[in-house]
Amino acid sequence: MRLLKLFIIVLLLASCKKEGTQWQTQWLLPLVNDTLSLANYYNDSTLIQNAGQIEVNLTRQVLDLGLADLIKIPDTTISQSFQSNFTVNNVTPGFEFVNATKTHNLDLSDIQLKKVRIQNGQILLKIKNPLNTAVLFKIELPGVSLNNQPFVYTYTLAPGTIQQPTINTETISLAGYEIDLSGAQSLEYNKLQSKLTLQTDPNGPTVSLFNNQIFEFEALFKEIHLDYAKGYFGSQAMIANKQFTLPFMDKIVGGSLALPPMQMSIEISNGFKMALRAQIEQLTNTNAQGVSYSLSAPSIGPSMYLAPAIGTWNTLQPSTMLLTFDGNNSNLQNYVENLGAQQDIHYQIQPNPWGNTSAGNDEAFAHSRLKVKVNAQIPLALNADGLTLQDTFDLNITQDLNKSHVNAAKLIIDATNAFPLASDLVLYFLKNGQVWHTVIADAQLASAALGQIDPTDGLLKKKSTVQISLPQSVFIDLNDLDQVVVSAAFSTTDPNSGLAIDQAIQAGAFLALQMKLQLQTQIKP
Amino acid sequence: MYRIFFIFLFVGNVLLGQQSIDLQLMGHYNSTGIVRQIPDAFFYGGTIDSAAIDKSYESLKQRNNFGLLMGGYVIWKSPWKLPLAKDKLLAEYQWTFSIGAQQYTGLHFSKDAFGLLFKGGLPYLGDTLQLNPLLLESTSFSKVGIGLSNPSTASSILLNFVQVQNHFAARLNQATWFQDDQTAQISLDLDGTSNLGSPSLGFGLALDIDYRFGTDTEEVDEQEFQLLVQNLGAAYIPSHQSYALNGTMQLSAMPISWWQNKKLDELGQQILDSLGFEKKVQSSWILMPASILLAKRINEEPIKKIQAYYGAQMLLRQSYTPFVYAGAHIKAKQFWQTGVGLAYGGFGGLRAQAYSILKFNNKQLILRSDNITLHNGASLLIQFRCEF
Repeated sequence: MRLLKLFIIVLLLASCKKEGTQWQTQWLLPLVNDTLSLANYYNDSTLIQNAGQIEVNLTRQVLDLGLADLIKIPDTTISQSFQSNFTVNNVTPGFEFVNATKTHNLDLSDIQLKKVRIQNGQILLKIKNPLNTAVLFKIELPGVSLNNQPFVYTYTLAPGTIQQPTINTETISLAGYEIDLSGAQSLEYNKLQSKLTLQTDPNGPTVSLFNNQIFEFEALFKEIHLDYAKGYFGSQAMIANKQFTLPFMDKIVGGSLALPPMQMSIEISNGFKMALRAQIEQLTNTNAQGVSYSLSAPSIGPSMYLAPAIGTWNTLQPSTMLLTFDGNNSNLQNYVENLGAQQDIHYQIQPNPWGNTSAGNDEAFAHSRLKVKVNAQIPLALNADGLTLQDTFDLNITQDLNKSHVNAAKLIIDATNAFPLASDLVLYFLKNGQVWHTVIADAQLASAALGQIDPTDGLLKKKSTVQISLPQSVFIDLNDLDQVVVSAAFSTTDPNSGLAIDQAIQAGAFLALQMKLQLQTQIKP
Repeated sequence: MYRIFFIFLFVGNVLLGQQSIDLQLMGHYNSTGIVRQIPDAFFYGGTIDSAAIDKSYESLKQRNNFGLLMGGYVIWKSPWKLPLAKDKLLAEYQWTFSIGAQQYTGLHFSKDAFGLLFKGGLPYLGDTLQLNPLLLESTSFSKVGIGLSNPSTASSILLNFVQVQNHFAARLNQATWFQDDQTAQISLDLDGTSNLGSPSLGFGLALDIDYRFGTDTEEVDEQEFQLLVQNLGAAYIPSHQSYALNGTMQLSAMPISWWQNKKLDELGQQILDSLGFEKKVQSSWILMPASILLAKRINEEPIKKIQAYYGAQMLLRQSYTPFVYAGAHIKAKQFWQTGVGLAYGGFGGLRAQAYSILKFNNKQLILRSDNITLHNGASLLIQFRCEF
């Protein structure tokens, strides 16, 4: 009997235990409404329309060097000082006690400049006076002139002491100044002269000049950029190894792509009045599978020589060289079809490959450029067979299953496709790099090849609806999942044979997407 | 609360003299359209299936009510009289003490709001949903009272000190929801406010008045009426959260580039900004959910075996409609009287009510339900009275 009472009490208590109130609701959320087209690329001449088809107009300047890139004058300080060897008493007011010239060498490695003009830059002057009367500093830079007027700086510096000399600093712009670096005899290079004149204050007292007093000036040439240079520009080769990644190409993880015959040219233009050697040592790409492919052509490997430009300021005519790559002289098509995301180029550019043959008469002007331009026009037609683009996104969504949460979801994609590409979509949900759930779309995003011509715009289009159902199991594991991989396999399938064939992209092609998310939610207030 | 109740019982038993204790516990919930399975799931837990939701939805009108009223109190009419001379007006009055607690929740809602909440937006693609009027009022409080009662008429008046434990009031003046069936774009137009009181911070005063009146004849079968006013007062809530929405929001599909640069929490804030969401802390006075009942009292010593009873009750809340009832009272046995009748209003529509009164010497037990049949809810009132 006691047992029965206990059982009844336990039963009553258990029946009082409240489970959560819950019910299910259905929602539809608008996500994406977008049209993906190639129209944005027309403006920068990436794509051009030709006879109703699209061509890739790949004209890109891959190298553009100017005078500032070729000849750089480092920040340089020149200084000149005076110190008497003995004590001079009774130095009268207005007495000129220094008048000295000094030549300075600019360290420019193997570059030997005779004349330059400064586009912009400045000089920072610093003078010191240890004498107990004011001193008139006169600093001349004989080779530095503006409109044929030499650079002269005068300043009266207040009296100072040996322990605390009076100091003055001043910054002066050198824009437009010409500098003759050929020295006093006009036969040298990289030479800069300065002349220092010191005079006591005409209205000051009579003073004594001691042998431990040092009068000094410093001139710092700072951030000097040239717009003209003449001399010998050296022969130091610029050896470069450049790497760059093509967007989206690294997302291709499978399948193949066949492209129509194509041609590419590289134009090298030398706007400097100096001889030039250029060499493309190697051009290699590596795709997402790690397969590398090198471009081979007669012009890859050997050195090519460009003559100096001719003319002067207004009549400058660069010398040019045109390299052509096509199916006859290169493996360009295979190179592109390797779908290499990682591009490596090794090249050398060397001025004056035969040394100072111009006898120091290399010249560069403000508008002198060394340019390398790539030009290719490729019909945008392709043959894709399961060409798979795959991208991984971090997944950082958590939900508490004891509170209101999403049970299941369905991604609904309504698409209008004017591209001749069909696509199969798959989502992989990952935890710690391992695939936990694979979700496959219920249908293929159909190719325009299966559609009909729309009389409003004359485009071949196909509408399709693709649904991707995310089952409850995905949401149960959602807190543990950390990445989602979106995989899209593209094919240019022939509607009749079912085989991948060459398909041209029609001008104005687009993919209109309308994505909605249908949610089944468990409400637990 | 329970300890105080037992102390009252104990004290009532040991004191000598004319005194009584009334204990009442009651709980009602009802709706004009929602089937009972839905509120039951909220009270007892469980899954609300789509059949119950569909059934409720079909029976709802454009405007509907749901409400919950529960509570209990103890009144001790003490033997102590006022220290006045016998010829004074209040000389016969006894000191009376009470303690009680009550929960009131009332909801006035539209059929569309119910559908959106319990079904979601998907079934209503292409339809414009009118979510207003939506009014939710919820107040829970406890009270301790002191007053006077007349032992000969049973009239009484008590002044209660009230502590509000919870107060929530929300109102949507204007709210429409439209979702385009092609683009799934959601258009939401909202104008509403809500106040959420902090717990245990509201204090106030309220009056309970029980006034009995009737014919002055000395007939045994005289008609007696009761005017019962409870919780007539106000409380001050010094600090509570106040929210306001007044704006229009469009939730539409966006370009892919927009999603690439957007975070979900930013989207939530953007929606709130679009709806003109404002939040502030403020103080306010609230009126207590006062109840006013005017009823014919049952003659517990009737000459006739059957007598009529009727009454009407109002509650000082917008979500509560006037409640009227009427029925027949039957004296089945000397210790058992019962009654059946019909009730209408409050939170629900027409339904049947019934009660029984059991009397044993100076003790009386009343069991009553206002939801016997025709109901969308449940109701139970237990009243125990002991005179000694």
